[in-house]
This record gives sequence, C-alpha cells and structure tokens, in this order.
Amino acid sequence: MSLSVPDLNFRVIAPALIVALTALIVLLAELVTPAPRKRWLGVLGLIGLLIAAGATVGLWGAPASAFGGMVVADNFGLFLTLVILLGAALSILLALDFVRAHRVDQGEYYVLVLFAVVGMILMATATDLIVIFLALELLSLPLYILAAFKRADARSLEAGLKYFLLGAFSSAFFLYGIAFIFGGTGTTNLMKIADALAKNPRNDLLLVGAGLLLVGFAFKVALVPFHWWTPDVYDGAPTAVTAFMSVGVKAAAFGAFFRAFLVALPAFAFDWRIVLAALAVLTMTLGNVAALLQSNVKRMLAYSSIAHAGYILIALVAMGASGLSSALFYLLAYTLTNLGAFGAVIALSDGERERLEIRDWGGAARQYPFIAAMFAIFMLSLAGFPPLAGFTGKFLIFSAAVETGWAWLAVIGVLNSLVSAYFYLRPIVQMYMSEPVPGWDRIRVAPLVALALVLALIGVIALGLYPTPAIVMATGGFLR
Amino acid sequence: MGDLALAVVVLSGFVVALVAPTVTRHRHNAAGWLIALLPLALTLYFVAQLPRLARGEVLTFAAPWVAELGLAFSLRADGLGVLFALLISGIGTLIVIYAGGYLHGNPFLGRFYAWLLVFMASMLGVALADNLIVLFVFWELTSLSSYILIGFEHESASARAAALQAMLVTGAGGLAMLAGLLLLGQVSGSLELSALLTQGDALRASPLYPAALLLVLLGAFSKSAQFPFHFWLPNAMQAPTPVSAYLHSATMVKAGVYLLARLNPALGGTDLWLYAVGGIGAATMLLGGYLALTQTDLKRLLAYSTVSALGTLTMLIGLGTSLALKAMVVFVLAHALYKGALFLIAGAVDHATGTRDVTQLGGLARAMPITASAAVLAALAMAGVPPLFGFIAKELIYEVGLELGVWWISAIVASALFTVFIASTIALGVFFGQTRHTPKHAHEAPSSLWLGPVVLAGLSLLIGSAPELVSAILIAPTVAAISGKPVAVKLALWHGVTPALLLSLATVLVGIGLFFARDALRRLLAPLRWSGAEQTYALALDGLNALARGQTRVLQNGYLRRYLMTIVLATVGLTGAVLLNQPIWNQLSNLPWETIWQDARFYELGLAVLIVLATIAAVVSPSRLGAVAALGVVGYSISLIFLAFGAPDLAMTQFTIESLSVLLFVLVFYHLPRFTRLSTSRARVRDAVIAALAGGLMTLFVLLAVGVQFQPSISDYFLENALPLAHGRNVVNVILVDFRGLDTLGEITVLGIAALGAYALLKLRREKIE
Repeated sequence: MSLSVPDLNFRVIAPALIVALTALIVLLAELVTPAPRKRWLGVLGLIGLLIAAGATVGLWGAPASAFGGMVVADNFGLFLTLVILLGAALSILLALDFVRAHRVDQGEYYVLVLFAVVGMILMATATDLIVIFLALELLSLPLYILAAFKRADARSLEAGLKYFLLGAFSSAFFLYGIAFIFGGTGTTNLMKIADALAKNPRNDLLLVGAGLLLVGFAFKVALVPFHWWTPDVYDGAPTAVTAFMSVGVKAAAFGAFFRAFLVALPAFAFDWRIVLAALAVLTMTLGNVAALLQSNVKRMLAYSSIAHAGYILIALVAMGASGLSSALFYLLAYTLTNLGAFGAVIALSDGERERLEIRDWGGAARQYPFIAAMFAIFMLSLAGFPPLAGFTGKFLIFSAAVETGWAWLAVIGVLNSLVSAYFYLRPIVQMYMSEPVPGWDRIRVAPLVALALVLALIGVIALGLYPTPAIVMATGGFLR
Repeated sequence: MGDLALAVVVLSGFVVALVAPTVTRHRHNAAGWLIALLPLALTLYFVAQLPRLARGEVLTFAAPWVAELGLAFSLRADGLGVLFALLISGIGTLIVIYAGGYLHGNPFLGRFYAWLLVFMASMLGVALADNLIVLFVFWELTSLSSYILIGFEHESASARAAALQAMLVTGAGGLAMLAGLLLLGQVSGSLELSALLTQGDALRASPLYPAALLLVLLGAFSKSAQFPFHFWLPNAMQAPTPVSAYLHSATMVKAGVYLLARLNPALGGTDLWLYAVGGIGAATMLLGGYLALTQTDLKRLLAYSTVSALGTLTMLIGLGTSLALKAMVVFVLAHALYKGALFLIAGAVDHATGTRDVTQLGGLARAMPITASAAVLAALAMAGVPPLFGFIAKELIYEVGLELGVWWISAIVASALFTVFIASTIALGVFFGQTRHTPKHAHEAPSSLWLGPVVLAGLSLLIGSAPELVSAILIAPTVAAISGKPVAVKLALWHGVTPALLLSLATVLVGIGLFFARDALRRLLAPLRWSGAEQTYALALDGLNALARGQTRVLQNGYLRRYLMTIVLATVGLTGAVLLNQPIWNQLSNLPWETIWQDARFYELGLAVLIVLATIAAVVSPSRLGAVAALGVVGYSISLIFLAFGAPDLAMTQFTIESLSVLLFVLVFYHLPRFTRLSTSRARVRDAVIAALAGGLMTLFVLLAVGVQFQPSISDYFLENALPLAHGRNVVNVILVDFRGLDTLGEITVLGIAALGAYALLKLRREKIE
C-alpha cells in the first residue's frame, strides 16, 4: 500500500477558514484592546462573518468536494452555512451590549462564538463521519464554556457543567457508533458507506453503529429522551448564549444528521424511519406539553425548541427532495424567529435584571409598543400562524409528510402545533392585556439589539409572505 | 391574472387597517362614518357584479405565490362567494358606523377599527379564496382577529378567558382543517377549489375520504359553533356588541357553513356526509334552542339562538337535497339580516339603559321608538311572520322537513318554537309591557346606533315583500355554486294554504304562548342546564396542565444522574433492538472461540484481568484519590495492550495523556469537599443493573466486530520502507518523527498546552496560599 496526499482544495472550506482566521485575529486583538473598547472585537467578528457569507455565496451553485471526500460545498451545506452565519451574526449583535450589562465583557466571548461557528459550518458540510465528529467537538467545547461564561453566576456554571458532562457522554456514544460503522463497512465516508451497504444489505454492525450515531445526533438537536439538558442549560446560560446555541447547533447538527442518514443509510430507511417517526411524536408531544406550564420565558423557549426539533424530524422521516428542502427552510425560519424571541428578552432586560418570568411581561406593550409587537409576531410565527415564516415552514414539512404517505405523522404534528398555540399566546396576553408590573421602569432599548430584532422581523414576515426565493435556494440537495 | 379588482377588494381592508388608528386619532367623532366608506365601496362593487354572476360568469384572479409548491394567490368569486362577500361588506358598513357611536370616547377606538378591518378583509379572503391554503391563511387570520376583538375589553379576566377559549377551539379546528385540506389536495392533485370541485367522484371513492372529511368537519364545526364545540360562542359575548353582531352572528361563525357549502359538490352526497353533517347540524339546532330558553342576558340569548340557526344551516347542507340547499341559502341571508339587527338593538338597549338582563327590561318602546320599530320588524322576521324575508326562509325549511318525514319535521318545528320564543322575549318583553327601572335612564339611541338595525330590518321587509329582487341575481347563482349545477330559483310569499303555512301559524301561536309562560318555563328548566362540552374542554386543559406538571416534577428534576440514566437506558433500548435479529446470535456462537482462547497470550489475559479489577476498584473505592488511581491503572493497562499489539506510537500517546489526566484529577480533587456516599443502596443496585446492561450490550457488539479486518496490516510497509525512504533503522523512531511526523507535532502541541494548563492551576493555587 502507499500513502497518498489528499486533494487540498481550500476554496471548498473557505467559509470555515475565514471564520477560523477571524477568531484567531480577534484572539490576538483581545490582548491589546483596552477594556472599554472590547465591543469592537465583536464588530471585528461580525465583519469576518460577513466576509465568510460572501465566500459562501461565491461557492453557490457549483458543488465541489475536497480533502479526499471529507467535505463538500454543495447547496445543502452552503444553505446551512448561510443560516449558521446569519444566526451567529444576529446573536453577536444581540450580545454586544448584553455582555457589558452582565459584566462579562471579554473578547473571548466572540472568539468562542466564532470557533463554535467553524465547527458548525464543518459539521454542515462534512461528508465523513470522522470530520463530522471533529466538527461536533469543535462546536461543543466552546459552547460548554459559553454556557458557563457568566462565572459569577452559579446557575450559569451549573448549566455549563451539565451540558459538558452529558455532552461528553453522547459524544462518546457517537464515536463508538462511528467505530461500529467502520467495523461494518471499512470506511467512514458517507458515500462509501452507502456503496458498501448496497453490496451487503444485511449488516448488523452498521445497524448498531447507526443506533449510536442517532444517540449522538439526538442529544445535540435535543430529541426526547435525550433532551434533558436543554431546559436546564437554556435557562442557566447567559441569554445571548442561549439565543446563539438554540439556533446554530440545531442547524449544524440537523445538517449532519440529514446527511448521514440520507446519504449513507438510505438502504436502512425502512428501519430508521419508524424509529425516527416515534421519536418525532415523543419529542413534539413532550416538548409542547411541558412548555404549557413553564412560567419562565427561557425554559418555555427551551421546551419549544425541543418541540421544533420534533417537527424538523418529520421532514427527515419524509425523506425525498421535498423533505430535505422543507427542513432547510424550517431551520432558516426557526433561526430568525427564535433569535427574535430571545432578542426581545434581551431588549427588555434592565442591566442584569431580565424579564424571565412571564408575569414580568405584564403591560410591556404599553411601555414598549414596538418591541412587544415584534415579540408577539415572533411568538405567533413559532406557533405557526399564517402568514409568517413559521407557518410556511410547518406547511412545507407537513405537506412533505403527506406527500410521502406519512399523513398520520403530519396530523400529530398539527395537533401539537395547536397545543403550542396555548403557551405562545400567554406572553402576548400578558403583554397586551395585563397591568404593568411594578418595579420595571422604562429603560432605553439598546439600538443594536433593536436592529437585530428588526432584521429578524423582516425575515420572518418576508419568509411568510413571499417564501419562493428561499424555497428555491433550499432545493439544492446533496452532492452525492 | 384575471380581475385585478378582486384582489384589490380583498386586500384593501389590510391597507386601510394601517391608517385607521391615525384617522381615528385626528377625527375621533367622524371616524366611523369615514372608515365606513371602505366597506360601503366594497358593497357597491359586489352589487355591481351581480348581473354578471346571474349570467353564469365567475370572476377570478390568480397571481403566482409559491410556484414550487403549486401555491398561487388565487381568488374566485361565484354566487356563493359573492353572497358572503355582500354580507361581510354590507353588514360591515353598518357595524363600522355603529361602533363609532357605541365605543365613542374609547381611547383604543383606532386599534379597534384596525382589527375590525383586518377581520373584514380576512373574512372576504375566506369567502373569495380559490386556493385552499389561501383560504386557510385567511381562516386563521379571522380566528386571530376575533381573539383580539373579543379580548378588547381586556381589563376583565372573563373577557380574556373567553378570548382564549374561542381562539383555542376555532384555531384548533382550523389546524385540523388544514390537515384535511392537505389530504384533499393529495387525493385530487390540486389545491385549487375550482379544480377540486370537479373531482367529486374521485374524492368520494378515495380511501382517504373519511379521514379528510372528518378533519375538514372539525374545522367547520368548531368555527360555526356546532355541537360539541358550541360553548365558545355564548362565552364570546364578552366582546363589544359590534363585534358580537358582526363576527359572532353575521359572518365569522358562518365561515364553517360556507366551507361546507363550498365543498358540497366535492364531498357531499355520501352517507357519512348525511349523518355527520346533517346529524350534528340537527343536534346543534335543538341544543342551541333549548339552552337559549333559560338565558336572561340579551346577548347570550341571541348567541344561543345563533347556535341554533347555525345548526339549522349545517343540517340543511347535510341533507343536500336541492330544496334543502335552496332553503339554506335563503336562510343564510334572512338570518344575517334579522340577527344582525337584533344584536345591534341589544347593544343599543345596553347603551341606553345600562343592562342587558331581560328580566330587568320592559316598555322601552316609549323611550326608544325608532329602535323599537326596528326590533319589532326584526323579531317578526325571526319568528317567520309574513311579509318578512324570514317567513320565506322558514316556509322553505318546513317544506324540506315535510319532504323528509316525521322525525325531521318534528325537530325543525321544535327549534322554530324556541326561535319564536326568543323573538317574542326580545320584541315583546323588552320594548312593551311595564316600564322597569334601569341603571341608566332610557333614551333614544343616537343615529349611528339605530341606523344599522333600521337598514337591516328594512331590508328584511323589502326583500320579504319582493323576493324577486334577489331570487334570480343572488340566490340562484349561489344555489348553483353549492349544488354544482345551474338551477332556477323562484321565491314567493304566498303559496296558497299549504301544510307548511299551517305549521307556521301554529308555531307562531304556540311560541308566543310559551313566551307568556316564560317565568314558569325558566324555573322548570333551570336545574336542567347542560354544560358537558364546556366541562370537557376545561377538563382537557386541566389534564394537559397536570401532565405537564408531572413531567416537570418526575422527569425534569434537575438531577444530572437521572438524565444520564434515561439517556443510557434509551441508548440500550435503541441499539439493543438490533439483537432482536436472530442471525446475530448465530453469528456470535459461530465465532472461533477455540482459537481465540488458544491465541491469547498470558500477559494479555493478565492485563484484561487487571483492567477488570481496577474498574471494580474505581467503582467501589471509598476515596477519590483511590478511584483516580484505579482509573489510572485502567489507562496504563490499555496503553500496554496497544504496545502488545504493535502500536507503540499509540501506546506512548495514551501513556502521556493518562499521566497528565491523573495529575490534573489529583490537583482538582484536592479542592473538592470530602467524598460522601449520597445514594441509597437500592439506588445503587438499580444503577449497577443499568450499568451492567449497557456494558454487557456493548461487549456483545464488540464481540461482533471481532475478526473484521479490511486493510492489510500496515507494519510490513513501515518495516520495508523505514530505511530506503526515511534513512532510519529504528522503525519506531521513524514512525514517530517521519511517517507520522505531523501527528507527533500535534501530540506534542497538545501535551505542551495541557502542561501549561497544569502549570496555571498550580500557580493559581500558590498565589491563593500566599
């Protein structure tokens, strides 16, 4: 045998490289930036994300593979890359004032976010299980730290520790799964696994490996019963971090999840579709039912994010082109809406005091008519009300399911949306129909946060009223 | 494209809604009259289209929306659509003017108008949509605007609860309907109503038909307050009266009826349709009338009678005969005219006297003559007395019942009795008889408040006396649209002495008789009130809440060990399912066990035993340091195994990492409190079982993997090429610094940084001590 040098096409990983480079520059710049100017490091990060987005657009439409089939730049991966960059940029906008208010105004914050973004992008574009695993770790480690970033706050520390311990466990399962898949097929490349499977469809080792991979993915995207960390971590982590990880991780992990199962394991579809359908039902139902009682906005949004993972899973069960594009569209819609919702929480916080209890939102509509209206629209979009982004996304996923003969799953999804309307409406009722709560004086809303909210709002409404361009972009599919 | 005007008409309400608050702020007193110009213009537009419709033409508009999904923003105005559009815009005009007087001085009037217009535009969208998804979007928008309008007086907790209830019930139904509509689209291959309606036979023959129909019915029934969803409508009377009159009597609640009528050519005509639609309709008709008997609040009384009327309409669609469909269309128009008027009168009475309790009201005709005359006309129409339009409607319904047999006609007559009773309660009870003392001194309402009732009641009289005004240009195209084929409609006030006429006469007389016995009747029926459906709703909500609470307490309790336990168990379950495959066991028993034992060298076995012992020691050790040391033994033994199997570089890496991590562990543990045993022995046994399960399963899987080898051993390559390629005789050295030089560099970097970390930890500690 001989050792060969893989094809080093750095163009294909340009977005990830640019973000990584930005992270390193920010890390160095942090050393020489005086404390009052730390926010400029965030601006530097934003510029890097913008350039990376430009590079991503430059790669659009010409699918290419590099590094011996380890990563690709296909429209599926690039779409997710854009979603991830968008989510990261909006969450940095949200964080610029937030970190100062919470006295964690350190350059490392942005560095960690950027490194996590590198991991996310790689995860969405990797076509080899080993790279997926490395990307998974690269995105997870910064998030463990970010969750615990508010070091003076015991809840933040607890969140970081819990996330880390459970995450380490699931990573181990994931890695073990890769080993079994390698044992079953002799390769970790997704396309080659599919080939091996086509030759030898009875492959128990591969089945075991797929089960363990599923555990790893299920943990990252928070499927029931691997979701336990979500409410505790979302609640304890600083709100800006929660906003970031609620969207970026979902996009990246679902990207790899879809790719691994649809590219490598379609031959097993009969087995895993049933398992995933069951998980989807469990996830949607538990997420929505548990969210009913939450009095804390962040915990409510945590359960809501679990439920949304369930909806997206329906798209995976549906398979096919429509399932794939509906999932991409949904992730985009969810990213905008969820960041908007968390952004509103950040916008109305008074220094370190945040309106975390739903009852604190009483009369907010009178004090902040615009923020309240935007928050209400984000809630309605999450609930799937037309004509907002959330509705279009749900509609796409449910019709993909109906199209492929999974009508019952779509019906359960619809029923779940109904349960969810109840808890999404509660903060709206509170804002518009209750008296202001004493102790919440009117404060000035940070302009950058307001900017992020308006951007998200424009997206949510545009994706609802005229979704065509986004749907067209989402139908690119994989490079196989 | 088609008629662009149609799209402008539908969307204009949304645009005007944006400026309504500004208009109201600057011209508070005239706002109602100004804003009413929009619905008035729309009404005129629709009236102008009537001749075209009568010629059998259909107005359409389509613009691409999401072409990839076959979604178009398409509108279609046929007879049925325009009938509803006329009701929506015409009554809308009166309501907007009325609200200007009713909510005069309310600081939120502008917001009220904005949402009222949003509702109007959405409702027009429902009536005129051709695409099912467009229809659904507008449908949910009506639910949303209704939610906000019901909760308009949001200071009151009951208004908030009622708003939420209406929203949940109708929103839920709407979602079920969406699922049904998607199924219909799936079967027929098109989401356009115009295409769908031509595929009735294919739809009815499809195995998905029952499911799709039931889902659509859930939507229609919840929206139109059919049993068992009827309870939300009376509760929604918390809304300001213009809203009740408009949404909850004339338009929104008829959306379900509209949808059923619309889908009749595609879905109707089966037994399931007859029993589900006709049966539920009849049940609602009777239940609504019966529940109305004991009501004393004017608006709730009217609400229950609306429930009953909606039931009648649903029943007529379910029966589906051509006579029934004709009766249904006539009744839709008649009911909208008289019920809209009566709601507005109820509001005017409330406004003038400060109460809506019928037992507190009487003899208002003297103080409010104009309102009273409108009330009498509307009540006569409701009771079905000639020459009002309500009479023609009721005659037709009686004919339908007589055609079908004794059970149906009895049910219809019974509900008519209730209706006459309600009509008499309002006209006779409130406006005639003894004058009562009321909270406010009664006075005639301002013109904005009596205009609506007078116009609506006047129309009842006009159309009743001259039904040919509407029969050819409005009723006939509508019936044609519902039955899916052209029909001729001739309406007349006088048919001669028919059984229907005699029944009518008897109903009116007995109904008025019931009215005079009203006190006794209320006393008799008071204990028999029935609110089972509403209790079910409350139970369902409570149940969900209890479930959620249990979930949080038992499962999401914050303990990491619980989370971990479920994750491990779920993993065992997911992967263990593979073992259900019989061949796996064969494969395991076919492994070359003999040679495995023979090939094993003594130090391999020794290491294996050492690892097992060290693991056990780590688990049972009473001190942290002991456990860490035991873990270190495990790690070192594994690196020895690597060495034994010819991977010296791997062994070295493992060795150094193991050393470092033991060191770090010790450093960190130094700061921790003493090791205590927290869990009970029962919990420990449980944990042991779970651990054994997970470990055992993984061992099995590893055994499966034994004997799999894909690539030839790499050792030979290294041995052959060490000297010629890398000029080194020590193969291990060559591998480390040459063949795998990059790996080594990476490892050195990692180790260096880890060492720095350890140094930082040590330094931190020293500074603390100092």
